[in-house]
Amino acid sequence: MAITRRMPTEFGYVLPLLLLMLSLFILPIVLMLARSVTQPEWTLEHYQDLIETSVYIRVLGRTLRIAVITTIVCASLGYPLAYWMRGLPPQRQVLAVALVVLPFWISILVRTYAWIVVLGNAGVVNRVLLDLGIVAAPVAFLYNELGVVIGTTNVLLPFLVLPLFAAMVRIDDRLLQAAESLGASRMTIFRRVFFPLSLPALAAGSILVFILTFGFFITPAILGGGRVPMVANALDLLINQFARWETAAALSTVLLVVTLACFAVSRWIGARGATA
Amino acid sequence: MNRLVLATTGILVLAFLCLPALIVIPMSFSSASSLEFPPPGFSLRWYQSFLGDPRWLKALETSVLVALVSSTIALLLGGLAAYGLVRGNFRGRPLIEGVFIAPLVVPSVIIAVALYIFFARIGLLGSLLGLIIGHTVLGVPYVVLVMSVAIRSFDHRIEQVALSLGASSTLMFRRVLLPNLLPSVFAAWIFALIASFDEVIVTHFIAGRYDTIPKRMFNELVLQVNPTITAIATLLIALSVVAIGVIVLLLRRGGIRMQSLT
Repeated sequence: MAITRRMPTEFGYVLPLLLLMLSLFILPIVLMLARSVTQPEWTLEHYQDLIETSVYIRVLGRTLRIAVITTIVCASLGYPLAYWMRGLPPQRQVLAVALVVLPFWISILVRTYAWIVVLGNAGVVNRVLLDLGIVAAPVAFLYNELGVVIGTTNVLLPFLVLPLFAAMVRIDDRLLQAAESLGASRMTIFRRVFFPLSLPALAAGSILVFILTFGFFITPAILGGGRVPMVANALDLLINQFARWETAAALSTVLLVVTLACFAVSRWIGARGATA
Repeated sequence: MNRLVLATTGILVLAFLCLPALIVIPMSFSSASSLEFPPPGFSLRWYQSFLGDPRWLKALETSVLVALVSSTIALLLGGLAAYGLVRGNFRGRPLIEGVFIAPLVVPSVIIAVALYIFFARIGLLGSLLGLIIGHTVLGVPYVVLVMSVAIRSFDHRIEQVALSLGASSTLMFRRVLLPNLLPSVFAAWIFALIASFDEVIVTHFIAGRYDTIPKRMFNELVLQVNPTITAIATLLIALSVVAIGVIVLLLRRGGIRMQSLT
């Protein structure tokens, strides 16, 4: 009796939400996973379908490619930004963080739309290039993979910069001073002391960007102009156009497994970074 | 020299981040129907075309209704659950917390596909109830995260003192816990509200003939370029700025800094 005395009340508080989430979130996902292997009976044919149909392989390959490129671009833009922010005086640091967070509060639709204004054929950049005579015809920034990468990078950069900056701020200045007093050059200090200390956060942030790109839907739909479908857009077609639920369920399962696997890796890196 | 390169890079990347927000606002006051930037003249025509279009207003109505109802359900159940998770001592808490946070980790499109198939089978596809359920699920992680932090930072002994002085648990909740947590409660509610008001993907899949503002914006953007969207965008930005201001203010009053949430 003593064991169960405290349990019922607090667990009772959790119970309503737990029931809601189990029945309206976990159950639908489990049913979807089940559907991918049980329709019309136990079968792997829907996965076989995915592998054998070149369209899905192309979409998966493109998604992977865009995710890798976006991750690399985010890391190579975000690292210098976070490093620069670390060295700013406190007040400017607050301002910089505010500017990094600002886009979080603006609908992703709006941010994506803005790129049409900036990079479209009649956009700001193209008109400047044309007026200056640098190019003879508008450069096709949009409705191709380049446009999608620009859009995803823009949306996902804060996810990398914020944790990276937080980790960099935590790096003890005295470590750098110690290295300096021992005669290390600035380059050596960065390479041998600072960079290794910031690496776990960089890795974790990069994996986060990778995961999030993998599920992107809005940016490829708008900036890709239907020509650069990623996994999520393929799911949209499978469900809303072709009503091929089983194939959609199988493709979702692939996406879910990749996402959760990456998430597990990032947690593992995060845990290692915390103990190191 | 090196510092100059670093500073230039930093500023350029910041500019890249903020460019979309900065460009949309002036565009919304443009008198041209093309995407000319800078705008050739000032006009409010895009605001008129938003406010004068019954379909947009209907979408606004649905958006507001769904956001209000779903965020309130998420707040009530999520707040209660957060209290149970923080104060409770039962087994499986990390797992249960994982279930509550999961909608933030699982890609929205998977939730969308799963709910689509599920709702189609139980007859909720394209219904207002289905839409509200979907948005509630997506709002839960925000409420649980914000409320867990708030409850954890509230001294458990104060609750115990009230109870030991003879207050019933209802009275303790009403007179001690709630007043102290009120700022965070509002912040959590606004988080869930904004999450719902901004939601595109799940809505796109399950809403059927119902339009919300983001769903309509998305459909317009896929088909054509329509400057009305810049007016709505600017209104949304204004709303976000007000919301974030209110959240920061409330959390500060509740003694919680934004950093502790992430």
